Formats: sequence, C-alpha cells, structure tokens
Amino acid sequence: MKHIIPDPLRVVGVSLIALSFAVTVAVAQKTDNPALAPAPVTSPAEKAAIESFENHVKDYVKLRNKVRETAPKLSKDATPEQIHAYRTTLEESLRNARKGARRGDLFKPDITSFIRRTLKNEFQGRDRKEIRDIAFETELKGVVLRVNYPYADSAEQSEMPATLLAKLPQLPKEVRYRFVGSNLILVDRESNVILDFMPDALP
Amino acid sequence: MRRFVNAKILLVAFIVAGFSISAPAQKINGNSGARSSAPSSPVKLTLPLKDGSLRFAVIGDTGTGSSQQHALGSMMAKYRAVFPFEFVLMMGDNMYGGEKPKDFEKKFAGPYRQLLADKVKFYASLGNHDQALQVNYEHFNMNGKDYYRFKKGDVAFYALNSNYMDKKQVEWLESELAKDTSEWKVCFFHHPPYSSAKKHGSDSQLREVVEPIFLKHGVDVVLTGHDHVYERIKPQKGIYYFVSGAGGKLRTGDIKDSSPLTAKSFDGDMHFMLFEVTGDEMHFQAISRTGQTIDSGVITRRKKS
Ligand SMILES: [Fe+2]
Repeated sequence: MKHIIPDPLRVVGVSLIALSFAVTVAVAQKTDNPALAPAPVTSPAEKAAIESFENHVKDYVKLRNKVRETAPKLSKDATPEQIHAYRTTLEESLRNARKGARRGDLFKPDITSFIRRTLKNEFQGRDRKEIRDIAFETELKGVVLRVNYPYADSAEQSEMPATLLAKLPQLPKEVRYRFVGSNLILVDRESNVILDFMPDALP
Repeated sequence: MRRFVNAKILLVAFIVAGFSISAPAQKINGNSGARSSAPSSPVKLTLPLKDGSLRFAVIGDTGTGSSQQHALGSMMAKYRAVFPFEFVLMMGDNMYGGEKPKDFEKKFAGPYRQLLADKVKFYASLGNHDQALQVNYEHFNMNGKDYYRFKKGDVAFYALNSNYMDKKQVEWLESELAKDTSEWKVCFFHHPPYSSAKKHGSDSQLREVVEPIFLKHGVDVVLTGHDHVYERIKPQKGIYYFVSGAGGKLRTGDIKDSSPLTAKSFDGDMHFMLFEVTGDEMHFQAISRTGQTIDSGVITRRKKS
C-alpha cells in the first residue's frame, strides 16, 4: 500500500529535511577540517575526567574574576604604567588568593592520562616531531616551573598550534596552555601566573 | 625544451591563480650591512603614489630597542615624508625580553617617535615574545583583542594570534571571512605558513588549519614575521605570502639557497615594507635600514566569484 502524504505536510517535511541539512552544513563549515576534530573520548570515565577538569578550571575563573575586581580597571587604550599596575596587582592578588595551590589541583591523574594518551595517539611521525621542535626551541631563560609563580616576563612563550589545541580539553579565555619543555602548563592569560603543570606531557 | 615547458606551466599557474606580478624571482645575498654606521641610500620610491590610494607600512620582530631599530624607524619616517602612509601593521614580537613601562618606551615609542608624532596608527599582532596585555596598549589599536578585524577603504585586515590559534579564533576567522565582501582581504600574524628561513621555516601545523580557510574565503595577501629575514614567497594556490621579520632583529644568511618557495629574499640587513592599494592593484616595496630597495612589484587582485 502506498502512503500518501498530504501536500502541506510534505512541504513541511521537505522543509525540515532541508533545514536540518542546512544546519548540518553550517556546523560542518566550522568543523570540516579534520585536523581540528576533537580527540576521541573512549570511555565514560574519560568523559567524566574532562568534565571534572573543565569544572575545576571554571571554578578558578570565578575566583580570578572576583580577585580581579581589586585590581585597577584597565581600558582598551591603556598607558604602559596602567598596564603594569593592573598586571602586578592582579598577579599579587591571585597568588595571595591561591596560597595553598599545589601541583595536581587542576591536572588530576585522570585528566593527565587523557592528555598524555591524546598527545601520543593524535600526533605521530612528522606532526609529533614538529610539536616537539616547537616546544623545545622555546627560550625559557628565567622560567621557574612552580605553581602559583609567575612565568618569567622575559621568556618566550611556546606556540600552541591549532591542531593541538583542538585536541586538548577546551579552556575559557582567561586560561591558557603552554609548553615548558615537555611539561604542559596552565597559566592565567593576563597575569602569567602558573596555575598548574603536568610533567612529561609530550611523548 | 624542458625550460620552455616549465615556463609554460608557470604561466598557466599564474593565469589559473588570476594574479600577475611584475617582480622577478631572486635572492639578494647578505651584505652584512647591519652596522648602524652603514651609509644611507637616497629615498627612492617605486610606488605609484596615486591620489586617493590606501597606503600603509609593515614591520615585524621589532622590539629590541637597538640602535638599528631606531635607524629603521628613522628611515620609515624619511620615506613617509614622500609617501605619506596612514598606518603600520606589526607582525609580532613587538617587545623582546620584558614589558615594564620603560620597555614600551625603549622598544616601541622611542624608535617610532616621529611616526607617532605624525599621528600614524599602529595595528599590532602578537608573537611568541609578546605578553597578553599588549592588547590593551594605547598605541597598538587592538581594542583589547588578540585577534581582530578592521577595514580601510576596500581592504579588510585581519590580525591573528598565531601563537595561540584556538578553536574560538579559527571559528571567528571563518565566520568573519565568510561574510566579508571587501575587495581585498589581507591577513597578518606572526608565524609564517611558508618560509625558506633555516631557523624556523614554514609553520606547517598552522598552514594546515589556516590555508584552507584563506582559500575558501578569497584571502589575497598574507603578511607574517618570526623569521628575521625578508622573503616574498611565490604565490601559493593563488595567495601571496610575505615574511617581514627583520624590523629589529636580523639573522644574516638564514635564507636557504635555491628554495623553491622564494620569489625574492633578503637577509643582509633589517627592513620594512610599504604598500599602496589602488583599485585592483596592490603595489609593494621592501626597503632596507639604509634605504636600499630590496624588492618591489605589484599584485593584481584576482576576480572573485
Ligand atoms: Fe617570533
């Protein structure tokens, strides 16, 4: 028996199919480069580890944004003196507010295993060599790898390629990843305070 | 015969790309002219200086505060007297080795004092030596953002942060370019997707991500730094790439000999670039610290569908 769909419904149906296709295309436009696909999450435990990490980072951002209120306001056309005053106040206040911070507060064992596995599996051969070259050619003079210490102003900051950042758990704009040799660190973007680090992240 | 076939292939490639350029391919050998006492050449403009054209300069890897950076800044001011450019694009590494208030003076405001006094605007991008808060600096016009777009005449400019190309930035770039109907689209950022320098060379991780976006959305010209040399890359899939990373640092002899990428290169002294856009033509001139023209030419805009 042949199903006959009344015309108005057929139109709606076709429109919905077209719409869903359009949405798929629109989404695909943003993510169609396979190099930017997120790393595969292989188990519920990994999914939970990522969520937990992202929540801990969000908690940090809440704290830093509260602390930031004590720093002088910074305009988008500030003088060097205003930038310096903002930066040093933010750094001091953040360090005071996180006096008890320790390595592993954010990079807990479950998320570090996920990151290590991701970097090992997703970057092989020439890609792996290039990422290692980028990390190891960075000049680190003055950098003290210690939680709650500022990353040295005078030191270079390793490039973080898009292909790599796409695979790591996503961060809010206030926090950034960076390499110090084979260590992966988390820094506060504006104050450059080291929030946490995981040793031997690079395979 | 083989040479003829190669020339024919090149010609076809140019036609397919829809670009034409009037400058020959070659490497200018280093002349170790980086001493601040090197004599200056007289100002010699190769640009058309047409009424109503858009004029700007390009510098990269500047922030050392050295006497050579000052000399280059003075040479830019000298050229501006005959070629009044409106603004300067900065390719990143705007300040090396620290950013206390005195560093902003020593490594930026001092060397470009004349240009700043003449109300020339600077638009910066960030390099691997730059701190995040440069985005708030009054003279860098970044409006608190490490990636941003602005438009001048028929040209849209996209400053990117190639040191931290996260997904948010890639998506922003893609969506901004997709709706951009400007005649010309120019992207500028620190790390070069193509470079023949020995120290860093082509950043293929970056290229893998940005090149498909540039191609899809009709980017015409890409300006970069990081390698402390000058290089004009042969058009890659129709896009013109420049490396201009010797505005304050120089790596003499760093360009690989006979690189298939090079249209023209120079690693004998520091340099800056001048651009003039008039209709479908973008003229460029690269000038050394001593005022010598090291490259010049014109890019004709390809037709966009
Ligand atoms: Fe650099």
